[in-house]
Amino acid sequence: MSFVWRKRWFVLLFPLLLAITFWHIKVETDLNAFFTATDDEDSRLLAGLLKSGELSRRYLLVVEKSDHPPVTDATNGGETPMSVAAFSARLLSQLAKLDDVEQVWPADQPPRDWVDAVASYAPYHARLFSLNPEQDAPALFDPSQLPTKAAGLKQALLSPQGSFVKTIAKQDPLLLSLNGFKALQGQFQQQAKRSQGGALIMQSRPAALDSAAQTRLQAAIQANFAALNAAAGESFKLSMAGVPVFSVAAQSEISQDVTLVSVVSSLAVALVFLFLFHSFSALHWVMMVQGASFVIGTLATALVFPQVHSLTLALGASLIGISSDYPIHVMVHCAKHRNTPLSAANLLWPSLLMGGLTTVIGYGALGFTGFPGFEQIAVFALASVVGSLGLTRWVLPALLVNSSLHAAHLPGIGAWVDFCGLHRKILLGLFAASVVMAVLCLPQIRWMSDMQQLAVNMDSLKQQDAAVRAHFSSIEPGRFVLIQADDWETALQRSEAAERRLQSLKQAGVISEYHGLFPWLVSKQLQTENSQVYQRGLTPEFQQAWQTGLAEAGLSVEKLGTLAPASPDALQAESVMDSPVRHILSGQIVSGQSGVMLSLWLGEHDPAKLTAGLAGLEGTRYFSQKDQLDQLAGKYRDRSLMMLGIGIIVMAWFIWLQQRDLRKVCLTLLPSLAGVLFIFATWALMGEEVSFLHVIGLLLSVSLCLDYGIFFIDNRGQDADVTYHAIASSTLTTIASFGAMGLGKTPTLPILALSVSLGVSLGFLLCPLLIQKPKN
Amino acid sequence: MTIKRTLFLLLAVLPMFGWADDAVLSELLTRIRQTGQAQFQYEETRVLELADAPWHGQGVMLSGTDGSLVKLQLQPARVIMAIAEQRMLYWDPQQNQRHSAALDSAGPAGEQIKVFRSILQGRTEELQLNYAIAADKQGPQWTLRLTPKPELSGDDLPSIEIAGDDQDQQRRILIKQPDGESTEYRMHKATAAQQQGYSLPSLLREASGE
Repeated sequence: MSFVWRKRWFVLLFPLLLAITFWHIKVETDLNAFFTATDDEDSRLLAGLLKSGELSRRYLLVVEKSDHPPVTDATNGGETPMSVAAFSARLLSQLAKLDDVEQVWPADQPPRDWVDAVASYAPYHARLFSLNPEQDAPALFDPSQLPTKAAGLKQALLSPQGSFVKTIAKQDPLLLSLNGFKALQGQFQQQAKRSQGGALIMQSRPAALDSAAQTRLQAAIQANFAALNAAAGESFKLSMAGVPVFSVAAQSEISQDVTLVSVVSSLAVALVFLFLFHSFSALHWVMMVQGASFVIGTLATALVFPQVHSLTLALGASLIGISSDYPIHVMVHCAKHRNTPLSAANLLWPSLLMGGLTTVIGYGALGFTGFPGFEQIAVFALASVVGSLGLTRWVLPALLVNSSLHAAHLPGIGAWVDFCGLHRKILLGLFAASVVMAVLCLPQIRWMSDMQQLAVNMDSLKQQDAAVRAHFSSIEPGRFVLIQADDWETALQRSEAAERRLQSLKQAGVISEYHGLFPWLVSKQLQTENSQVYQRGLTPEFQQAWQTGLAEAGLSVEKLGTLAPASPDALQAESVMDSPVRHILSGQIVSGQSGVMLSLWLGEHDPAKLTAGLAGLEGTRYFSQKDQLDQLAGKYRDRSLMMLGIGIIVMAWFIWLQQRDLRKVCLTLLPSLAGVLFIFATWALMGEEVSFLHVIGLLLSVSLCLDYGIFFIDNRGQDADVTYHAIASSTLTTIASFGAMGLGKTPTLPILALSVSLGVSLGFLLCPLLIQKPKN
Repeated sequence: MTIKRTLFLLLAVLPMFGWADDAVLSELLTRIRQTGQAQFQYEETRVLELADAPWHGQGVMLSGTDGSLVKLQLQPARVIMAIAEQRMLYWDPQQNQRHSAALDSAGPAGEQIKVFRSILQGRTEELQLNYAIAADKQGPQWTLRLTPKPELSGDDLPSIEIAGDDQDQQRRILIKQPDGESTEYRMHKATAAQQQGYSLPSLLREASGE
């Protein structure tokens, strides 16, 4: 195809490709989805917890008196100041009207559907009145207590809960079904004491990770609060916590990072390019080629994965610098040797192909580290590197046909090559000594054990979260007792056994409180046990005593005097989970790929004593999200190191396939491997905590540095100075693009920026030292 | 001819009955409006579906200028039920039962006490939202009948009858629930001497457990 047509097709297809990509792409911003590997049950559980449905959509809102209340007389004409409880009641009714709010309720009282759900258990009262029926039977079925119980029932019918109690009493006159819910009532009473009426729980309709909707909702919450607060004389302040608050903050940080990295990276590469070639026309065409490579990578990722993570795009933007290596090599040779772009591209093609291949292998190894996000980056890199190589080989010569290139002379490049040549023996001696010292330093490496250090820094938000949560139940987020079984019945039996232990541990002071599943979900075994105890307690004397008690209390013996036998049908866990109760238990039922997983939430506790207290219970274990993350950090690190090793071996094998010379393979690998060794040793000496991300950064630097070795040894232009100039130019663009990542606030980005920039810089400097200058 | 003339006269004066009704209604609604502080002695009779006989109680009701309301039951046992700052409070010292809930989230109990407050404090605009109100006046005796609006029939609203006399010293309130249960209050304005025995703020504090 003629150059003219190649250019026309490129100019026509690029915008088309861009439009298809925009139409097809769905961008995801959840950092957890990027990092949390899901290749084992615990990782899947963790991933599920981090973005579990209903619970993650809940906001915790706290209204408090403002720290700087205005002067009363000036604002409300001397009226009695409004209480926190009254203000939060008004806020609640306003928030309930918002479209994005599914439900909002005061934290100190259950929502209406919870109360209705409790009433639905009345027909099963004889099957679920106790977790320990044999133990509780003497007190529950003591005939001498029945007059007091009847009087209590009368008072309950007269109380504000009269209509609720009446509904239950008609089916369950002894109110046995409420026995198991006493703990729940106690939790709300505790909450009432803690929050003074200012704590609200709000469940949003949009998913927690739907940042756009959550941002809109948070703005609406603040606007409603501000309007009410203005009317109340600015006397109150509002604090918010919950997964959506973090998700919006993280989204904002990541968006800023993506924009910053993309813009700075593109600008830096453009400036370096202008400095190197003094040609706006060439810059324009090369940027078009890189833009097309970026779009090809994005489209390929969007086709392979359902959603493209925003971090993939941010890290992908750094590939612009890497992908520009190929055109740069062509253009440096073209400018220095006065070749046509086509002949330079043809000349360098074998080296370009091998360089691209090693880069793809590096990124491919990254994909096999197991992180969902890095799998995306591997696909992105594969597609964009292939795209960039193809465009450099077949399209770039057509685009540059009218551009005049003037390659800048980089000061010091030739001098460094000559210096290495002149003092090779001394420098190699120093190098050997440094290698020995570096190896000796390696055992001192400190591995990062806390994955939280890699998360976006949200200390102020975490403090606010802790302050808000102090107004709510003392249940600790992220630490719970996990029950696993193949089926519901076994899982529930195990959960009940664990709850009995937790009751004992609570009495022993090991745990302040816990939220179990009884009596919302009760095993058939316990239901049978309860019904047997109930039938045994239901003697004619007991029935007679109850009727006497009712008569003394002035209650209808006709309507309440008959204590019916236990229901023959058991309450089925599956049908409970099909009812609105599933909303109440949201967050405690964790769906795994196989079987049933239940979680019992814990208040303040001593992990060691708790673990010991649960010993011997089958399918039951203490689960700490933080410990799990820390274990994952170790697992990730080991996997990254393994992929670093495998990546290097595969790259070496491909170089051997091309060179068929073991010495050349070793020489090609040596600068990058030595660079990695020195960087590890420096981190060890500096006490830097090294994470899997550091290792991944070095893996990338190896895959990039190998290109330098390949180009330097191949020296296809038969001019070592020009080749080294081309390598220097591509090093500059790589540092410019990866260096931009150092500006990001997400810790991942600066770590990768540092690892890759150091790696390529050292690899570049070591090239002429370790590889003898090829003859021209 | 006589029938025709009578019919004509009836039709001619019919609108005047309407005006007369409106006038009575307006007068009675103004009469029940309670703006200042007030205190009543009351006797309560409740007919419960699950009780054999009606239940009787008595006590004191206190109404505050800020919309707060305390119903202090003294017989058969001391129980306080109150509304303060959009919250419903309940305190039964004998059973050691204390509840506190936002009025709008307190379910049927909250709705009932809100209606009762509207009646006692004459918040007619609140009542007119949900009820059709009819007035009747026979000499010094008057009656207001509140029937749930047809479109709200699914909301289990009670029907209410409020009766009193020109002296405004006593009042009878009958609340009938759709399920047949009913509560009747017979109330007398407390004398100045009786009023000194109770303080609304201290009863609210007792109810809230402060």
